[in-house]
Amino acid sequence: MSYLLNIKSKLKDSSALAIQLLLLILGSYCFIMVEENRKWKALILLIGGISYFLSRNRKNHPIIWITLFALLLEDLIHDYFWLANHHFLLTFMVLSVIAFHYHKRGDYLFKNIQILLVIVVITSVFQKLMSRQFISGDFYYFMINQGALFRKFINFFPESVEIIKSNSANLTNFQATNPNEHQSLIIRDIFPKVNFYSQIFVWLTIIIESAVAIAILFKPKSVWSHLILAMMIIGILATRFETGFMALLAICGVFLCNNIYLKVVYTLISVSCFVLIVTRIGYH
Amino acid sequence: MTNPIKELILKFGIPSLAIIIIIVHFGFACNKNLSKWKGGGYGMYTDIHYYYNKIHISGMSVDSLVKDNDEMKETLGTLMLMPNKSNLKKSGELILSTTQKDSIHIQIWKPVINSKQGIYSRELIDEIHLKNTDF
Repeated sequence: MSYLLNIKSKLKDSSALAIQLLLLILGSYCFIMVEENRKWKALILLIGGISYFLSRNRKNHPIIWITLFALLLEDLIHDYFWLANHHFLLTFMVLSVIAFHYHKRGDYLFKNIQILLVIVVITSVFQKLMSRQFISGDFYYFMINQGALFRKFINFFPESVEIIKSNSANLTNFQATNPNEHQSLIIRDIFPKVNFYSQIFVWLTIIIESAVAIAILFKPKSVWSHLILAMMIIGILATRFETGFMALLAICGVFLCNNIYLKVVYTLISVSCFVLIVTRIGYH
Repeated sequence: MTNPIKELILKFGIPSLAIIIIIVHFGFACNKNLSKWKGGGYGMYTDIHYYYNKIHISGMSVDSLVKDNDEMKETLGTLMLMPNKSNLKKSGELILSTTQKDSIHIQIWKPVINSKQGIYSRELIDEIHLKNTDF
């Protein structure tokens, strides 16, 4: 019983829990990325480490957060166009937490995270609406037949797996040909009517993402808003192990949510994503 | 009493930075043909990945060019990520100076899918003819 009460009290403070989860994901991400631009990062870690240990009894500045933020900035400076989109979201979330350390206003932190989440999801919807390849269903059609989506489920159907292997091998051979010959490649469907299901999946994606953006914008604390957000995160993870980005969205959920059960769901998602990231089963 | 400007900055300053990054992404996507997958524009999974773009160089193998050559790998990688005239020119100049050839013809192609007919084909994005006397 005391364990349950302890868990409940831990879950009460949304910001504290979310900040701990963010530090976990940030630490693992920085550890994975540390090999890029390692000379500059070694210098940053050296300065951060010395500063932390020499001033560990003072809590004027969040040295660990500032050091890890500097590592993110370093990647932005040197590899701006090569970084995944969640690197940008992570940078803004970390910046919000560092700002929170100084202004100590939970409502400002809440607003930062709420608006960031809305911006990210709504931009994603716009990008999809503006992409002819996405709206026509061509993108999902290609990805499904190449085995890049729903792979964990498709593995239960050996015939479909064989078609995926054959599609991939054909594509590899096709890529080696001279494009000036204007040849084309026939893609085999891994199950009947992939084209039709791709179209449905296109509009399902757009509708759910739009619903999440609108719900979080107008009712950021509502249970219904978080049910849709949690459903979207789980849906994306079922489609593909985009664990880095989904961990961040789940942490945004922890920041904004008041419902204790939903916070448990978000925490489970974040920690599971962390496990998948560090074991390299998922994408960082 | 809280300063309203300070309050506004603390509430919306960081989200505004995110919007600026998105505007920068769209600028590069429109003017430099940057892939939707990169640059902080949150356009991943909306287009086929730039990895499927195809660099074709008449009479040369891209694989052998990039083998053990980090500069070439980075330059041709950037061409895949941002297929535009400027990156074609940079790639051409680097290849000419590396291979000591007199001229070069580089093309960059992107995949085109027709889901109704189940066909994968390629479309030319851009190309360049370059002589070693051009730079």
